[in-house]
Amino acid sequence: MRGLDRLPTGRGNRALLVGLGCLLVGGLLALTPLRVQLPSALYVFVEVGIVFVIYGLLVLGLDVQYGHTGLVNFGHVVFFAVGAYATAMLSAQDTFAGVGLGYPWPIGVAAGVGAAAALGFLLSATSIRLRDDFLAIVTLATAEIFHSLFVNLEGLFGGNVGILGVPRPIASLVADGDTRLVATVFVLGGITLVTLALLTRLTAAPYGRVLRAIRADELVTRSLGKPTTTYKTQAFVYGAALAGLAGGLFALYNGAVAPGFFTIQVTVTVWIGMLLGGAANHRAVLAGLAIIMGLRLVSRFALTVTPISGDVFAAVRLVVVGLVLVAVVRYRPAGIWGNPRELGVDR
Amino acid sequence: MGLLQEILFGLVTGSYIAIAAIGFTLIYGIVNMINFAYGEYLTLGAFVGLLASTALPVPLPVAVVVAMVGGGIGSLVLARGFFTPINQTGPVPLLLTSIGLGIALRNVIRLVAGRNARYFETETTTVRFDSVPDLSVGPVDLLGGFFVTTEQLTVVGAAVAVFVAVHLLLTRTNVGIAMRAMGDDEQLARVRGIDTQLVRDSVWILAGVLAGLAGVLMAIQTNVSATTGYSQILQILSAAILGGAGSPYGAIVGAYVIGLVIALSTALLPSGLTGLSTAAAFVILIAVLLVRPSGIAGTEVREA
Repeated sequence: MRGLDRLPTGRGNRALLVGLGCLLVGGLLALTPLRVQLPSALYVFVEVGIVFVIYGLLVLGLDVQYGHTGLVNFGHVVFFAVGAYATAMLSAQDTFAGVGLGYPWPIGVAAGVGAAAALGFLLSATSIRLRDDFLAIVTLATAEIFHSLFVNLEGLFGGNVGILGVPRPIASLVADGDTRLVATVFVLGGITLVTLALLTRLTAAPYGRVLRAIRADELVTRSLGKPTTTYKTQAFVYGAALAGLAGGLFALYNGAVAPGFFTIQVTVTVWIGMLLGGAANHRAVLAGLAIIMGLRLVSRFALTVTPISGDVFAAVRLVVVGLVLVAVVRYRPAGIWGNPRELGVDR
Repeated sequence: MGLLQEILFGLVTGSYIAIAAIGFTLIYGIVNMINFAYGEYLTLGAFVGLLASTALPVPLPVAVVVAMVGGGIGSLVLARGFFTPINQTGPVPLLLTSIGLGIALRNVIRLVAGRNARYFETETTTVRFDSVPDLSVGPVDLLGGFFVTTEQLTVVGAAVAVFVAVHLLLTRTNVGIAMRAMGDDEQLARVRGIDTQLVRDSVWILAGVLAGLAGVLMAIQTNVSATTGYSQILQILSAAILGGAGSPYGAIVGAYVIGLVIALSTALLPSGLTGLSTAAAFVILIAVLLVRPSGIAGTEVREA
C-alpha cells in the first residue's frame, strides 16, 4: 500500500512512467535477442514516428521559449542543426567530406547539447531584449547564416554532402531491420516523454509561473522584482539545448547529417504544430505536431493512389500547411487545446 | 575583375533591393507588421511582367507597367483577405500569417508555373571601359577595366525615379502626408480625421506596385522562378531594418549598404567561399540590431 501511495499521480509523472517504460522496452529490444516483426504497411508509420518524436523535442523546447515565455524564436532549426553537426563531427568515422573525429558518441551528444546551448546563450545575450518580431528576424537570420556556413565551408562541414559515417548506436546493436526501427522509436519516444515530464514539472513550478508572467507582461513582472532578462535567457537556453539534444539524436539515428535536413521547413513545421495544438500546453503542442506530421503520411499514401507527381504533391501539401498556419492564427489563435484566456488572445 | 566592377554590381543589386525595401518598410511603418510574404509579391510581379511580355506580347516598358498594376491589385487583394481582418492582433500574429501566406503563395506559383526558371528576352548593349588603369593594393585591384550594360543602367535609373516619386508622394500629396502621420502615431492621425483604413489600403497598393517593379527588374537581371522573390526577402528585410524600420529614406541607404556588402564580399572572400556573401549581409543585420537597433534613421525597437 505504501509503495502504491508513493507512485506518482500527476500528469507529468504519468508521462515519466510511460517514458521510462518505453526506454525499457527499447532497451530490451536493443540489448537482448528479443526480435519483432513489423508488417510492411507499418514501416512508414514507424519511420514518420521516429521523426515525430525527434521533432517532439524541438516543439517542446520551442514551447518553453514561445508558449511559456513569449520569445519569438523563428530560427529554431539552427539549434537542431548545430546539435546534429557537433555530434556528427565529434563522433563520425571515415566521413567522406568534412571533419570526423571519431570520439565515442556520448561525447558527441554532450557536445551537441553544449554547442546548441552555447549558441542559444550567445544569441539571447545579444538579442533577447529586442522586440518580439525583431527577435524573430535575428533568429531567422542566424539560421540562414549557419545554413550557408554548412553549405559553403566544405572542409569543415562537408558542403552539400554533409558528414557521413556517424555511428548509429542502436543499429550497431541490432542487425535486424524491423527490430531496429521499433527499438529506435521506443528509445527516442521514451526520451521525448521523459523530457515532457521534466518540462511539465518545470513549468508547473513557481518558475514556470514567472515565465508565463513575463509573457503576459514583462514590465509588471520586473516591477515585482523578478530579473526578467535572466529568466528569458534561461528559457531560451533550455529550448536551444533541447533542440541540440534532438539534433544529436537525429544524427545518431540517421547516420549522417547534411544541410538538406536542416532547412527553414523544420522551423515552420514545429511552429505550426505548436500553434495548432495550443502554445503553453506541452501535450497540446505534441498533438498539434502529430496532426501536421500526419499530413505527411496522408500525402505519402495519396502519392501511391493518385497519378500526379511527387513534386506536385509536395507543393500542394505546403500550400495546405501555409493555409493551416493562416487559419489557426486567424480563427483559433490559442490553438485547438490552448487556453485563450491564459494566452491573452481572446479579443 | 577590379573592385570598381564589383562596386558597380553592388549598386545595381542595391537598386532593386532599395525599391523593394521601400515597399517593405512602408508596410512595416504603417501597418506595423513584418511582411514575410513580400518576396512572393516580387515573384508575382515578375511573372505578371513575363506573361505580359511573352503572351500578349507588349514591349518591355509596357510589361513593367502591367507588372506594377498587377502587383498593386494583388497586394491589395491579399491584404484585404489576410491581413486587414487581423489588424488589431499585434505584430507577431501578423508576422506568422505572412509566413503562412508566403509558403502557400510560393507553392501555388510553383504549381502553376513549374520548377523551371524563365528568362526575359531583352536587348542589351554593353559599354566597356577597358582603358582604366589597374591600381593594385596587395591582391586587390582597386580600379581596373569595367563594363556597364544598358540593363544595369535601366535598373539604377528606375530606382532613382522611384526614390524621387516616393519622396514627392510622401511630402507633396495628402495621402502621402497622411501615411507619414499614421506612421508617426495612428491614434493621433485618426483623431485628426484621417481615414486610417484608406491610408492602409493605399500603402498596400503602393507596396505592391513597388514589388511589381522590383520583381521585374530583378528578373531581368537574373531569371524568374517560384523562388525569385523569396531568395531576396532576407536581403530586403535586412535593408529595411538597417535603415531603421519604417523609414523609406533609411531603407534606400540600407539597400545600397547591403548591395555593396554582398558585392564586395564576393570579391574579397576566397574563391571557395563566395557563397557566403549573402551570409555577410545577415551578419551586418545582426550587428546593426545589436549596436544600434533603431537603424540608421529609425525608431527604438527594444522593449527593455
